[in-house]
Amino acid sequence: MNTPQTNLPLTRREFMRGASGIGFMAFSGFAPAFLARSAMAQNPAPEKDRSILVIIQLAGGNDGLNTVIPHADDNYYNLRPTLGLKKDLLNLNDQLSLHPSLGGLHRLFDQDQLSIVQNVGYPNPNRSHFRSTEIWETGTDGDTYNTSGWLGRFLDNTCSGAPAAEADPVAIHIGDITPQSYLSENPQLVFGMKSRGSLTRGRSPAEKAYEKLLGAEHGEGNPSYLQQTMMNTLITERRIEKMIAGYKPAVPYPQTALGRSLLRISSLIHADAETRLYFASQGGYDTHVNQVGNHARLLGQLSDAMAAFQADLAANRKDDQVLTMTFSEFGRRPGENASRGTDHGTAAPLFVMGKDVKGGVLGEAPNLNLQPKQDLSFSTDFRSVYSTMLDNWLQSDSSQILGERFDAVPFI
Amino acid sequence: MRSKAPTPKTLPVVDAWKPLPMSHWREEQAAHLLRRIGFSADPRTVKKIIKQPILNALDSRFGQKNPLNPSAEFTEFSKELPNIYFELYNNKNLDPVVKQERQQKKNRDNNKFYRELTMKWYDHARAEENSAQEKFVLFLHDIFVIDQRKVQDAPNLYTFQNALREGVFLNYPQLCKNISREPGMIVYLDLAQNTAKKPNENFARELFELFILGEGHYTENDIKEAARAFTGYRLRKKTEYVYHKRFHDNGQKTVFGKTGNWGGDAVIDIAFEQPAARTFFIRELLKFYLTDGALPHDDYIIALGNLWADNNFEIRYLIDTVFQSRLFFHPAYRGNMVKSPIHFYMGLCQDLNLDIIPLQGPLIRQMLAMGQNLYNPPNVRGWLYGEKWINSTTVSARRQIVNYLFSSINEERLNGNQKKSLADARAANKGNYLVSNERLRPMLKNDGEALTEQLCRFFITELSQQSYVENLSRLIGDPKSQGALYRARNAIIALLQSPAYNLC
Repeated sequence: MNTPQTNLPLTRREFMRGASGIGFMAFSGFAPAFLARSAMAQNPAPEKDRSILVIIQLAGGNDGLNTVIPHADDNYYNLRPTLGLKKDLLNLNDQLSLHPSLGGLHRLFDQDQLSIVQNVGYPNPNRSHFRSTEIWETGTDGDTYNTSGWLGRFLDNTCSGAPAAEADPVAIHIGDITPQSYLSENPQLVFGMKSRGSLTRGRSPAEKAYEKLLGAEHGEGNPSYLQQTMMNTLITERRIEKMIAGYKPAVPYPQTALGRSLLRISSLIHADAETRLYFASQGGYDTHVNQVGNHARLLGQLSDAMAAFQADLAANRKDDQVLTMTFSEFGRRPGENASRGTDHGTAAPLFVMGKDVKGGVLGEAPNLNLQPKQDLSFSTDFRSVYSTMLDNWLQSDSSQILGERFDAVPFI
Repeated sequence: MRSKAPTPKTLPVVDAWKPLPMSHWREEQAAHLLRRIGFSADPRTVKKIIKQPILNALDSRFGQKNPLNPSAEFTEFSKELPNIYFELYNNKNLDPVVKQERQQKKNRDNNKFYRELTMKWYDHARAEENSAQEKFVLFLHDIFVIDQRKVQDAPNLYTFQNALREGVFLNYPQLCKNISREPGMIVYLDLAQNTAKKPNENFARELFELFILGEGHYTENDIKEAARAFTGYRLRKKTEYVYHKRFHDNGQKTVFGKTGNWGGDAVIDIAFEQPAARTFFIRELLKFYLTDGALPHDDYIIALGNLWADNNFEIRYLIDTVFQSRLFFHPAYRGNMVKSPIHFYMGLCQDLNLDIIPLQGPLIRQMLAMGQNLYNPPNVRGWLYGEKWINSTTVSARRQIVNYLFSSINEERLNGNQKKSLADARAANKGNYLVSNERLRPMLKNDGEALTEQLCRFFITELSQQSYVENLSRLIGDPKSQGALYRARNAIIALLQSPAYNLC
C-alpha cells in the first residue's frame, strides 16, 4: 500500500498550477470554457444528508425459490426432489423461510431492517442473460430497447446542467465496466473503481508527464472534452483515493470481492461523498449444475457482506441515509434439471435493506402448482420497486424516468 | 485555429464530392486519409502514397479481398456443429444427462472459438495491408449489428463477418439481401420465428430503421407487411439458411404503397426506391469516417445520395467518391474525431510496431473495459461514437493499456493457457507485444527538436502538434544527457495517453 501523499492537487485550480508551473489564467484556450461551465451549473451540490441508494447485482440469475423458501408448499418439494431445502431453514413466517446461509440477513429481517419483495419480474420474460439484464437495467418492458439506464435517467432528471467544477461523482460503480443502469443521455460524472488496490499512480514522473500534456492548450469540441474528462478523472481518482485511504470500518468485512466492494462504498459514505448512487456486483449465480454447495456459498457471501455493511453504517450513524437493494436478471426454473441444478427462469424475490425500510414480506407469493418445465408468473413488476425507490427514497418523479406510473411497493 | 465546417456558400455543392486536386494531395492530407480509413499514419507510408493519385491508395486497400482464415480446429468445429444440433434436437432417445453435457460442451466450444475468432480478427486487422478493409468491416458490423451473447454459435459469427467483408464488392441492396440470409442475423433478430401464423416484426423493423431508411421514414403498417414478406426464412440445424415455403405468407402485402405477393428481396428493392434510402447509409458512413459532431449540410448529402443511386448503390463507388473528395479533406474535419477503443488499440500496435497481446483474457477484458469488443455492441443500435466513448472508466482503461504496453510482464505469473498462447505467438514470430527500452534507445540519436517533431508527426495529428511540441521537448530535455531514455519513455507514455492521441 502506498503511503497517502498530502500534496496532491485535489482541485482543478491546484491541478493547473501544479501541472504547469505557471498560473491558472495562462490557459486561455481552456479556462473560459471551464469557468463558464461551472458558473452554468445550476444545481447546488446535494445536501450532505441526502438519501443514498446502493445496488447489488446478483449476476447470472439467482435461484429465488432456494433463497426465500416456501417450506409449507408441497409443490416446492415435488418440483425439487434433490434441491428442495428442509434443514436449518431460517423462519420468516409460517409459509416462508430464508436459506440457511442467510443468517445475517435473517437477523436484519427480525429487526425490520430487511424487506423481502416476492416474485418480482416483468411481462414476456426473456431468458437470455444479457437481454434480461438489459431489461432490468434500462427499466423497460421486454419489447422496448433503450440505450439509457433507469438510474442514468434519474441523474439526467436530477442533475440538470453540467457537473459542477469540484463535485464528487454522482454515481460510483465497483468494477471495470459502467453498468447499463448508469448510462445517461447527458454527460454525468460517473466513476468506476476496482474493489481493491490503489486508484492512482501517485506522483511518479510518468504521471507528472501526463499532467503536463493535459495542461497543454486544446481546441474546442472533442479535444477540450477529452482534456476535461481526463482532468476530472485524475482529480476524482485523487479525491476518492484520499477518502478511502485509511478508513477503519467499525466491524470486520468478509474478505470477498463483494465484501471489499461494500467496504469501499462504506468508506465513501463515511467521508460524506456527495455521491448518491453506488453499484456493486456479485457473479456466479448461473447454477445449472450441482447447485446446492455453490448457491449456499454465494448466498453466504452475500449475507455476510450485506450484514457487515449495514452494521458499519449503523455504527457510523449513516444507516438512516442508505438503502441497499439487490437484483438479478431472472430467477430460475422451479423444476430442477437433470444435473442437480436449475435453468434460466423468470421471477424471483429481491431484498431491500436499510434502517428506514418497513420490513416484512411484500407482494404475492408465486403459484407453484406447475408442470416440470413451467415457469413462474411474476406478481410484482420490477418497475414498481424502481418507482417506489425513485419517488419515496430518491425524491424524484418516477413517471418521468420510467415513462409510466407503477403501483408502489410499500417497503418504505 | 480550427476551420469552420464548410457550407454550400464556402464550398459549392457541385464541388464537394469532386476529387481533391493532386496539387493539394500532400503529407497532411495523406496522413488524414490513412488515419481515417485505417488506424495509423506511418510517415513512411505517407511519403509513399503522395507520389501517386489518391485512387491508387484506395485501390491497393479496397481492391482485393484479404480473407481471414480460421484455424483447422475452427473449420472442423464448423463442420461438426450442425450434427451436434441435430443430435441435441432430433434424437429423442438421448439421455437427459448426456444431453445436458453435450449442450454444455457445445457452449464451451462456442465460447472458445468465439474468443479465437476475436483474437484472429485483431491480428488480421492489425496488419497494415488489411486495416482499411477490416475497419470497413467494423463499420458495417456497426450497421448490421449482431451480438455474440445472443448468436453464440462461433461459426455463424464467422460467416457473418465474411458476408460483411464481401460488402465492399457489392451494391448495398445486395448486401442487405445477403445479410437477411445470414444465420447470425436470422438468430439475432428472430427471423426464424417469423412465420405466416405468428409474424415476428423484429427483423423487418430493424431493416427499415437501422439498415436502409432510418426512423420516421416508414409506417408501422409498412413494418407489419414487410414482416409477412420475410416469412419462410429459416435455419437448418441452426447453422444454414433455408427458405421454407410452408412458413411463407403467400398473401398480398402492401409496402410503401406497392401491393403484390412480395418476398424479402422484393421488399428490399422497394425500400431502395424510397428517397430516404439514398441518404441513410451515407449519413452512417460520414458519422463513422468524417465526423462525430454535426454532419455536413444536408445539400451535400442529398447530392451524393443522387450520385450514388445513379451508380446502382455500389459501395465501392461511395468509398472512391467520399475518400477522394474535397469535403473529406476539408480542414474542419481533421484531428477531431474520438478514436474508438478498437481504433485506439490497433493504432497503438501499428504506431509502436507491436504484435497484438497474445493473451486472450487480459486483452478481451481490457477491450471491454474501454467499451468495445468485436461482436459485443451495447445493443441493437450498435456502439455510440464520439464523446460517448469517453468517461472516467474508459479513460482509465485506455491509460492502463498504454501502461501495460510499456511494462515488463513476469511470465512466471501467467497461467498455463497464457504461457501456451505466448509460446505459440512466439513460434509464429508474433510475440513482440511490449515496448522494451532497447526499442526506444535509437531515438535518442536525434537532437531534441528533431526528436519531439518526429514523435508528434508519428503519433498525433497536425491539429495538436503545435501545442504539444513545446511541452514534449521540455519533458524530454537533452537526449544526450543522463536519464534521457527514462524521460523519453515517460514522455511517450504520456503522449499516447494524451487527448491528442485519442483523436484522429
